Amino acid sequence: MRTALAIVILAVAPAWAHHAFQAEFDDKKPVKLTGKVTEMEWINPHAWIHIDVTGPDGKVTNWMVECGSPNIMLRRGFSKRSLEVGTELTIQGYQAKNGQNKANGSNVTFQDGKKLFVGGSNPDIPEDQK
Amino acid sequence: MRRGFLVSLVLVSSLAIFGQTPAKAPAKNWTAPKTPWGDPDLQGMWPGNMGVPMQRPEALGTRATLTDAEFAQKEAQAKRQAEADSQSTVASDSRPGIGPPSYWTERGTPTRQTSLIVDPPNGRLPALTAEEQRLRKEARGGKGFPGEWKGEAETYADLNIYYRCITRGALGSIIPVVYNNGNQILQMPGYVVFRNEMIHETRVIPLDGRPHVSQNIRLYMGDSRGHWEGNTLVVETTNFTDSDAIGSNGAGYPGDPGHHSADLRLTERFTRVDANTLNYEATIDDPKTWTKPWTILIPLTRNDHYQLLEYACHEGNIAMGDILSGARAEEISKKDSK
Amino acid sequence: MQNLKKTIIAAVFPVVAMAQTAAYRAPRAADGHADLGGIWQAINSANWDLEDHSAQPGTMWQTGSIGAEPAGQSVVEGGSIPYKPEKLAKKKDNFANRRTNDPEAKCYMPGVPRGNYMPYPFQIVQSPKGILLVYEFASANRFVNMGKPEEAGSDTWMGTNNGHWEGDTLVIDVTGLNGLAWFDRAGDFASNQLHVVERYTRVDPYHITYEATIEDPSVFTKPWKISMPLYKVVDKNAQLLDFKCVEFSEELLYGQFKKQTSSTK
Repeated sequence: MRTALAIVILAVAPAWAHHAFQAEFDDKKPVKLTGKVTEMEWINPHAWIHIDVTGPDGKVTNWMVECGSPNIMLRRGFSKRSLEVGTELTIQGYQAKNGQNKANGSNVTFQDGKKLFVGGSNPDIPEDQK
Repeated sequence: MRRGFLVSLVLVSSLAIFGQTPAKAPAKNWTAPKTPWGDPDLQGMWPGNMGVPMQRPEALGTRATLTDAEFAQKEAQAKRQAEADSQSTVASDSRPGIGPPSYWTERGTPTRQTSLIVDPPNGRLPALTAEEQRLRKEARGGKGFPGEWKGEAETYADLNIYYRCITRGALGSIIPVVYNNGNQILQMPGYVVFRNEMIHETRVIPLDGRPHVSQNIRLYMGDSRGHWEGNTLVVETTNFTDSDAIGSNGAGYPGDPGHHSADLRLTERFTRVDANTLNYEATIDDPKTWTKPWTILIPLTRNDHYQLLEYACHEGNIAMGDILSGARAEEISKKDSK
Repeated sequence: MQNLKKTIIAAVFPVVAMAQTAAYRAPRAADGHADLGGIWQAINSANWDLEDHSAQPGTMWQTGSIGAEPAGQSVVEGGSIPYKPEKLAKKKDNFANRRTNDPEAKCYMPGVPRGNYMPYPFQIVQSPKGILLVYEFASANRFVNMGKPEEAGSDTWMGTNNGHWEGDTLVIDVTGLNGLAWFDRAGDFASNQLHVVERYTRVDPYHITYEATIEDPSVFTKPWKISMPLYKVVDKNAQLLDFKCVEFSEELLYGQFKKQTSSTK
């Protein structure tokens, strides 16, 4: 019994149900992007947030950030209206291997550090966006 | 200590006697409802619940269910994970991860089942035939079958049929994963219809005893025919393609491309055991691939509030182009750095 | 004796006899309503072009007359689609680039109403828990909610479908369409403001009259309507087979990203 308590972990690794991210993104190219939302694509297999990022030189580039399957968020009560154009976000992730302005969004947060889309089934616009 | 051990042994044995499986038996004093035309009523939303591995860890031997202590640990782990997923602010020391934010998941609730495979008794896949082992080495000019990501992306056919958004196959569409485990059953006279969320599959299963389509016609989800045995719907599916694969996404598991032959015979049994539980059992019989048939059990819990949403996979498959062009970019940078 | 009487009446009063058989009442399905269940398919060339069209070459001379467009009469009430003048340029552009840009060529789901008049069968599943339309093309499907109407959470290819009965006519109100599907191979299109209201009426054992009212204020000057019969597929042992066309579209979509072998350098 004692040895049985040295538990065999039956946890299933959260094997992401779609593409191996290493296939698409380069873990040697971390990015941290801050910008304003221009579009939210609620599509499968991955939702994409489009943001305008202003560089130190003032030049604006548009980036696409890959999220998870939107079905999950829709079942939690979020909708296509839940992310307004113009919302300021910060995204941490890795850039696409092909060098395009694409990244995966492992951390997507508002300016105050609050995570996007975490917050239950009746999301309010965060205080700093009102 | 010794008495406790004996008690546990008795409990485990009685569970084993009760059924080699952790399946619920039909509830006493419950009458299976019927549709207006008299078929057992299986209709509703029966989303899958992730958390049970396909194969049982070898150390668990023939145990089909976890002990109380093991289950308590699993529950504690799930609770910690849920807390981590629901944290509303980012930690100050966070580093980027390679996947999406962890709360984009539907992790399900822990159960005591030690593996989806309930037969063979050790809960593990039977051995592969010599022919299948040879095929897996020699397919595609020695590249083998595409399964989990191996770093190969010369062409789209190097990616598995799930990455390409073709299908997850009949079994793959119901084996629960980390999200979108929607399953819907609808019925009309002469048919049962089984609909999966990912990737928007529908099997319209005739019950009138008609033969399968000709062996010359192949379908990724196979060709299904159903009949009732008491309150159990038995579905026989044949006519698979040679590109199908077993696995939670029809693409195998790490180290196992899940490939099977086109001659696979799938026998599924759907039994509603109470108002909210549907036992899904499937026997995979493919003597060209595995030396013995094997059986999985997926208990499904009703949730009629579950919204089964469109999963338009191929239409949004931006990753395919990115994976291929990313591989081309890497080739160039490797060449340039020489 | 009763049969003889009926025969005499039918012979003497043929009009009365015909009138008795003229009004078709569909059998009842398990949900108590007119039974639309079965496999159906349109027989027209609406999928090529909703409007009047003569036969014309296809996009690839290499396939000869296979792949050329047959002639067809408009299924649009009034004949033509009422585009806003500034939107006609986009239709022309769609048509000019249809070989690569038609979402059908890419094996994208056909949307509403196009799924109903593609040259592939579809099946209507009429269950007490709702109605499901299952399309052979690309394994597309759409579930019709027959209860309290639900709002679309996001825009999708096959829309958010809310249905109700008006007598023996099934009415499906379709919203939440993403506007990315085309109406046909001629490049007719709409936007994500598209709103379609369909009507299905079984007029005899082998035909459904299918009507769809289409509106999109950003593309058209007014709503417009299409209508056509859907024919029951009565082949022995008819069933939907696979047209999982992703593989047929991959070279078109991803061919440019393949590793070039030495023979193609």
